[in-house]
Amino acid sequence: MAYQRVAIVGAGITKFVRRAQETGKELAAQASKMALESCGMTMDDIESVSLGTAPDAFDGVHMKGEYLSDGSGGWRKPYMRQFVGGGTGVFAPIHGWYHVASGMFDTCLVVCSEKMSSCHPHPQGAFKTIFDHTTEQPLNPTLIWIFALEMNRFMQTYGITKEEIALVSVKNKKNAMDHPAAQLPMEITVEDVMNSETLAWPVNRLDISPASDGAAAIVLASEHVAKRITDKPVWIDGVGWNLDTAYWATRDLYYPRYVEKAARMAYDMAGIKEPKREIEIAEPYDPFDYKELHHMEGLLLADRGEAVQMLLDGKTQRDGDRPMCPSGGALGVGNPISATGLMKIIEIFLQLRGEAGKRQVPGNPRCGLAQAWGDLMQVGTVVVMRR
Amino acid sequence: MGLTEKINRTDHLSYFEGQIPVEYVYTYGLGLEKFFRAIKDKGQFLASRCKACGVTYLPARSFCERCLGGIEDTVEVPGTGSVYSWTVVHLNMDETPKEEPAILALIDMDGTDCRFMHYLTGVKAEDVKAGLKVKPVLKAKKDRVGHIEDILGFQPV
Repeated sequence: MAYQRVAIVGAGITKFVRRAQETGKELAAQASKMALESCGMTMDDIESVSLGTAPDAFDGVHMKGEYLSDGSGGWRKPYMRQFVGGGTGVFAPIHGWYHVASGMFDTCLVVCSEKMSSCHPHPQGAFKTIFDHTTEQPLNPTLIWIFALEMNRFMQTYGITKEEIALVSVKNKKNAMDHPAAQLPMEITVEDVMNSETLAWPVNRLDISPASDGAAAIVLASEHVAKRITDKPVWIDGVGWNLDTAYWATRDLYYPRYVEKAARMAYDMAGIKEPKREIEIAEPYDPFDYKELHHMEGLLLADRGEAVQMLLDGKTQRDGDRPMCPSGGALGVGNPISATGLMKIIEIFLQLRGEAGKRQVPGNPRCGLAQAWGDLMQVGTVVVMRR
Repeated sequence: MGLTEKINRTDHLSYFEGQIPVEYVYTYGLGLEKFFRAIKDKGQFLASRCKACGVTYLPARSFCERCLGGIEDTVEVPGTGSVYSWTVVHLNMDETPKEEPAILALIDMDGTDCRFMHYLTGVKAEDVKAGLKVKPVLKAKKDRVGHIEDILGFQPV
């Protein structure tokens, strides 16, 4: 395939909070401005804009791309909004990659903004409307319930315990202590997770990420432009995405086959033959603690049923052999849906540049990956990055 | 990277309330119309089989998601199945506690390639296992209106 090589050259992120005074467009503007300033650029240098944002129902504005366009730098630009549920935050940069890789543009501002706190009494009410209105909505399911079904199947299939899975939450919330944007940085124990309120067995309060407000942004540039902007570009070397059956209940819930397909697409593009060896650091999507393990397997970073052993052996700690979610992840930094995925992209960007500060993993990693997941537990989005 | 202030006291913010003034009138569509009529009138479960792909969909559908071929005929399936996964739910959607925890399950439906999401009844949470055989519990015929809640839940066979 002939396309321009694309680099990430700048990044910005707001603090993730339970309720921001700022509107979604103000959050977007803050993150965008930070991203531009981080690489000494202005909107005059930006040729295209990719916005990612999740359900319109969060804001009650059913034209959310247009609503957020001013804060996202969309004014009189080629502007496009992406939405694949929780997968959006890694899908928006894939779209941005297309804009530049195609040769159509040399720069693209990618912005992801989410304000969940406007939704009352709880954003779960908005999530109800992602289910089929005839066969599922009348049963009043929440996302927590259906993830509980998936977590239970994952536990049953491999004989994994709740205590083992809780270690992911302990690790990620601790990692978040070093993230300046974090909403839920905490030092907790497995017992704290086990003793927290049962929401939908086997899911307890501390097994899951919070509802959040926040935004993130990155600047993409083609190779010849990137080299003028920075001496530390981080290249997007592989992108992949895939959607499984619309009959979500029918899938094999213990294994995310669609994540594997997305990962293989990205690995093929990046020339990665042995992901377990070549992907040195990763940010798998972790809205629930079991999802980090589930996604490590789908990403082929662990054999099926074996991710938990890597966790127990300490390999996924920040100073371990294969750090997972060194940022603190959705569990620790927070989960403003689309902004979470882009936060993960930014974490790998900073880690590969050696600019992650107290979060920096040892070993000067050269190759990393960010992944998100969404729609009705059926879409996987993957970006592979190298310095 | 700059950062915005964290808001700890929401009562310091001005806010107002809003809503979206719409309701919905849903048609069942070509496939589900057949399914819900059969539930209502006969207490039967109708599935659709794509002969080309060998996939049996439940509830009945008018097309196959794999080949996009149309499916005209329906086949009756028993409506029984086995538990694939389950959860014990303690909170309502607005996070208020439920009076009684409920058991929501995914059920592998016999004679089909699909699962149903529905509630389990007549069984204690500690007695639920993967593979538990269950059968549907329907409302009395006079009370059925052609809706997913005509199925009250599934109980052990």
